[in-house]
Amino acid sequence: MVFGLLFAIVAGALVSLQNIFNSKVNEKAGSWATTSLVLGLGFAASLVLGLAFEGGQVFNFSQMKWWYWFSGLLGIGVVTGIVQAIKYLGPTFAISIVLTSQLGFAVLWDSLGWMGLEKVPFTQQQFIGVLIILGGVILFKWSERKAT
Amino acid sequence: MKGLVFAILGGGFITLQGVANSRISQDVGTWQTATITQLTGFLMAFLILVVAGGRGSWQELKKVQPLYLIGGTFGAIVVFSNVTAIHFIGVTLTVSAMLIAQLGMTVMIDRNGWFNLKKQKIKLPQLLGITMMVAGVMILGM
Repeated sequence: MVFGLLFAIVAGALVSLQNIFNSKVNEKAGSWATTSLVLGLGFAASLVLGLAFEGGQVFNFSQMKWWYWFSGLLGIGVVTGIVQAIKYLGPTFAISIVLTSQLGFAVLWDSLGWMGLEKVPFTQQQFIGVLIILGGVILFKWSERKAT
Repeated sequence: MKGLVFAILGGGFITLQGVANSRISQDVGTWQTATITQLTGFLMAFLILVVAGGRGSWQELKKVQPLYLIGGTFGAIVVFSNVTAIHFIGVTLTVSAMLIAQLGMTVMIDRNGWFNLKKQKIKLPQLLGITMMVAGVMILGM
């Protein structure tokens, strides 16, 4: 469990750094040039690390199912959704909803056990946990807005 | 209303991406998963850029301070860690812990004024918000 949490914390910290860096690129180059650059570099870095850790195995596609090739397109949905939401709602409200939705769908997926996930039944305790987290997210985002 | 739908879809896609990637990595390696998904995402984004006639904006990248251009490389570690975390602790805990780290890091960057951002004091409601999130995660993990 601690191991899993550590990975999640590393991912979250890097996402926050990435958001700051990317928004600076976005100011100058717009969202599609930024997205292309970000995903292009992510691809290159993954390939290099993959070659380092998995060797030629990186090019072994025998286990690939057809839809695996399309999973990356979800990223396009992410960028479109967030850019449009900020346009209509402003950053604070938009990001609060994005974070809430992220967590809501996470609970949904765990409790349904879709896509080979281990099914985690949705208990009252989980409901309370998620509610408190959401309260924290919203409190954080709105106090941030007052600051600016 | 329109904005709300976009925000909900955006967040939903972020989570779905983590779930899909962790499913894919059961069949192929985790680095391979990160490589493939970001390659197809890149190709699509680039296609949209070209079709939308925004190729000129590629030139604008030269005006960006070089450090900020390399943010994309973090994506490799983000996808890898996200997938590995989901394998260990499930989607809900992974997303929760990621959100805490994300907001916590933002506070730290703001407080220290890193990356030329305006230095900001931490406010009580922000601390309270993060504390609530940590408490919530502890309840989830119990």
